[in-house]
Amino acid sequence: MTAFAVIAGIILASGLMVVRSENLVHSVLWLAVTLIATAVQFVLLNAPFLAGMQLMLYTGGIITLMLFGVMLTIRDEGVDIPNPSEGHLAGAGAALAFLVPTLYAIWGTPDFGPMVDPITAKDIGSSFLGPQLIAFEALSVLLLAAMIGAIVLVRRKDP
Amino acid sequence: MNPIVHALVIGVPLLTFLMGGAALATWFERRFSGKMQTRWGPTVVGPAGLLQPVADALKMMQKEDIVPRAADRTLFNLAPLFPPFLVIASAAVIPFAATIDADGAVKATGVVADLDIGILWVMALAGLMVFPIWVAGWAANNKYTMLSGMRMVAQGISYEIPMVLCALVPVIFAGSLSLSDIVAYQAVHGWNALSLSPSAIVGAVAALLFFLASLAEANRIPFDIPEAESELIGGVMVEYTGIKFGIFMLAEYLHTIVASALTAVLFFGGPLGPGPAVLGLGWMLGKTLVLFVLIYWIRWSLYRFRSDQLMDLCWRILVPLSLVLVMLSALLVAGGFA
Amino acid sequence: MTHMVLTVAAILFALGIYGVTTRKNAIGILVSVELMANAVNLNLVAFSQHWGATGQSFALFAIALTVAEVVVGLALVVLLYRTRKNVNIDLASDLRS
Repeated sequence: MTAFAVIAGIILASGLMVVRSENLVHSVLWLAVTLIATAVQFVLLNAPFLAGMQLMLYTGGIITLMLFGVMLTIRDEGVDIPNPSEGHLAGAGAALAFLVPTLYAIWGTPDFGPMVDPITAKDIGSSFLGPQLIAFEALSVLLLAAMIGAIVLVRRKDP
Repeated sequence: MNPIVHALVIGVPLLTFLMGGAALATWFERRFSGKMQTRWGPTVVGPAGLLQPVADALKMMQKEDIVPRAADRTLFNLAPLFPPFLVIASAAVIPFAATIDADGAVKATGVVADLDIGILWVMALAGLMVFPIWVAGWAANNKYTMLSGMRMVAQGISYEIPMVLCALVPVIFAGSLSLSDIVAYQAVHGWNALSLSPSAIVGAVAALLFFLASLAEANRIPFDIPEAESELIGGVMVEYTGIKFGIFMLAEYLHTIVASALTAVLFFGGPLGPGPAVLGLGWMLGKTLVLFVLIYWIRWSLYRFRSDQLMDLCWRILVPLSLVLVMLSALLVAGGFA
Repeated sequence: MTHMVLTVAAILFALGIYGVTTRKNAIGILVSVELMANAVNLNLVAFSQHWGATGQSFALFAIALTVAEVVVGLALVVLLYRTRKNVNIDLASDLRS
């Protein structure tokens, strides 16, 4: 229970720093901390395979993409990359408008059902090649389309 | 045994071995390269120069700690901490010994944590290793470190693909991600790279590609361009002084040890070998040592690749070859030949 | 216990909403969207403890989909930067008359 409390604290604190940080690179790195803490939380939730996947794909992949994106879109030199934000009150209002009904729904449900046995990588694999086969194949086509789309979008046309 | 006690009983000697090994690796590199180049290398400090790493560490510790004025102080100071941590953490799943099970089967032990997702843990940490280096390059607020950091990230994420795909080959053969299951498979079916079965060809090529990709991940020559000593001075580590620079170097030497240990377990049987199972630790250390010497031999014999040659090698040769290897290993397993 | 995890995920999602509505840099918005997707994954994995492997395979799909979305999103942001030399979304409101 204490492990859960510590990890949940890290997730929420770094999530807060992501949306409040003044420096864009710091914001992305706090996102990396959030993602790693979520991977640890996955381990606590009996999902070690997903934790490994989260570390590999999210932190290893998405953070790299974000950092490259930051590098390709900055104008000034130096380590202070501005990350402006406005409309804090409206933003907080929108967040609370989502949060309050959701918390009401979560804590209004007394029971979620019995716990199942811990899920192994084999179960997930059988799920992919069984009930979720079409989604799996569609996902591979989607990833191919995203790759080709991104390359086509940013290709510089030769004059 | 309580998992935490088990982890400590195996982890503390492993940590000592890794740290001592990394320190000895600095001595070994300089003596070995001296041997190859008909010069002495360090011989003065201690017997045969064996205390040279201690002298190096003391020298680095007493240097002035300089942080550039316009640098991002927090990130600059934090960045060196992560590479050694990630490398040592990825060594937590490598089995170093073998025992005979109750029903006569060989079981790999001597693991700090025998995770079910063994190889996935290592690959995930290998993917994470590129960040602290990029952060170090960026936080120093220096064009050259920035350039080197970008190159290192590009190299790291590119070579991660053949590394993960070739690590999948023994996983497909063994049917499990756990490293002790892979060793158990090799105990029954022969080593993945050296057996006499049809899967040996796939295994041998996968071993070679995995070894090369690990070299590229560890930024050793010939894949050394981001931190090329003679071209970019030290790449990412230019602005780091004293012990922080020493920590980066420590991470690099640690990575060579862990990469050789990993290749030995995945493709060469790890703690397996002729003789009683109690010799498992000796076999594992011997195989790691052979691959380790090979890494240093390659480093002092070959030129370094240019950046575009490096990327070309990865994307046009290694990635398609690794994909073909994965397909072939799946076909072999489905056809019952492995 | 699952209630606590779902609460954490809900707060994280709310933080993501706050980030999306207040950030002015296009990449800052993408980062906040990542927070929201992460909260959804946490939710899915928390539920898969009760309902089986479907939750975790859905979470894997969500991770892969998010990667694809970030790839295309960043391509668009880079294009935006190339034409306008900045990525402030307040200055990219040409379609609003």
